[in-house]
Amino acid sequence: MSVKIVKIEYYLPETIITNNDLEKQFIDWSSEKIEKKIGIKERHIVKEDETALDLALEAGKKILKIYDKDRIDFLLFCTQSPEYYLPSGACILQDRLGLKTNIGALDYNLGCSGFIYGLAMAKSLIISKIATNILLITSETYTKHIHSKDKSNRTIFGDAAAAVIIEKSKNEQIGEFVLGTDGSGYKNLIVPNGGLRNRYDINSKEIDDDSGSLRTDNNLYMNGPEIFNFTIDAVPKVVSETLGKNNTILENLDYVIFHQANKYMNEYLREKINIPKEKFYLNLLHTGNTVSATIPIAIKDALGNKLIKKGDKVLLVGFGVGYSWGGTIVII
Amino acid sequence: MKKKEFIDELKDVLEIEDEDQEITLETNLKDLEEYDSLSVLSIIAMIDKNFGKQIPSSDFSKVTTVSSLIESIGKEHFE
Repeated sequence: MSVKIVKIEYYLPETIITNNDLEKQFIDWSSEKIEKKIGIKERHIVKEDETALDLALEAGKKILKIYDKDRIDFLLFCTQSPEYYLPSGACILQDRLGLKTNIGALDYNLGCSGFIYGLAMAKSLIISKIATNILLITSETYTKHIHSKDKSNRTIFGDAAAAVIIEKSKNEQIGEFVLGTDGSGYKNLIVPNGGLRNRYDINSKEIDDDSGSLRTDNNLYMNGPEIFNFTIDAVPKVVSETLGKNNTILENLDYVIFHQANKYMNEYLREKINIPKEKFYLNLLHTGNTVSATIPIAIKDALGNKLIKKGDKVLLVGFGVGYSWGGTIVII
Repeated sequence: MKKKEFIDELKDVLEIEDEDQEITLETNLKDLEEYDSLSVLSIIAMIDKNFGKQIPSSDFSKVTTVSSLIESIGKEHFE
């Protein structure tokens, strides 16, 4: 049995923060320099009363306008910004999207690798005949966790949700997967407080990171240099392993879509791996890094901009928080 | 690599455009206007490219002078 992605939609929250907005707030922060180096001009962010589930619902509604909701028999929901400890957001989404009740639904907690893992699970569920038509939604609102004076993370991250439908197909259009995990790096991208190990602490003190950004342990912390070190090490390996497992070489691919971390990092990885510029997508300008939503957004935008077309072979690679990473090759 | 070449590479990745601005082994990187969290990414990339090496961030935070950066890369890489 074979599988394919049949539909992709995404939703961006209405509020936009531009580089000019940030420039007004932070000294020594150049709008022009950020756009040139990080490749981001603006990012969409949620309002105070808007959550990842709300974004997921919008992305879900969008895709169900073009796909019969009664055909969905499994819902996978990826987020690290859940509505509640319990129940699962996927259960709430089943009801709000008006999906049937005789379907499976579950949440899973992953970040930048989340879309790849979602595809892997969807493929396995279909091949094992547990499900036939799967709705996979990745939705993230890291901006909820970011301190208002954390200029680095406020620069990089945006909020978004993406929805895709994976179905049975005649020919295999989702290839073999390479997945990886190294939890030794868990402290390098983390929201330390708010879970059950360290409760949210209203008196948590402000920490100055030495480069003009502030945060507390209630906020998102990212050790940028260490995350870069991890990607330099992990991404070239996952690329070559994914190519190997799919018995192909870079030259035989039409396009490469990485998780959109930031322009500088992705460009460095592209050069290191020797991926031709014209086959490599950078898609951060209007959204920033939207974590688990970057890859489906990039596929949709690349299709819209005619950079890829039906039948193209595209390498997808996700990597980040955990550490967690994964790669696969899809036929559009 | 010669230390002189390394300094030139550093000037390049730090985007120091002023030809007259002197960078020596004793220059404290943290004193440079151009040194920020973005330039740290550039230095990491430059070190990986030239030495195939990743400097742990805990070592990076201890780096002060160009000389100390050379030490954390490993003196054996330099002539």
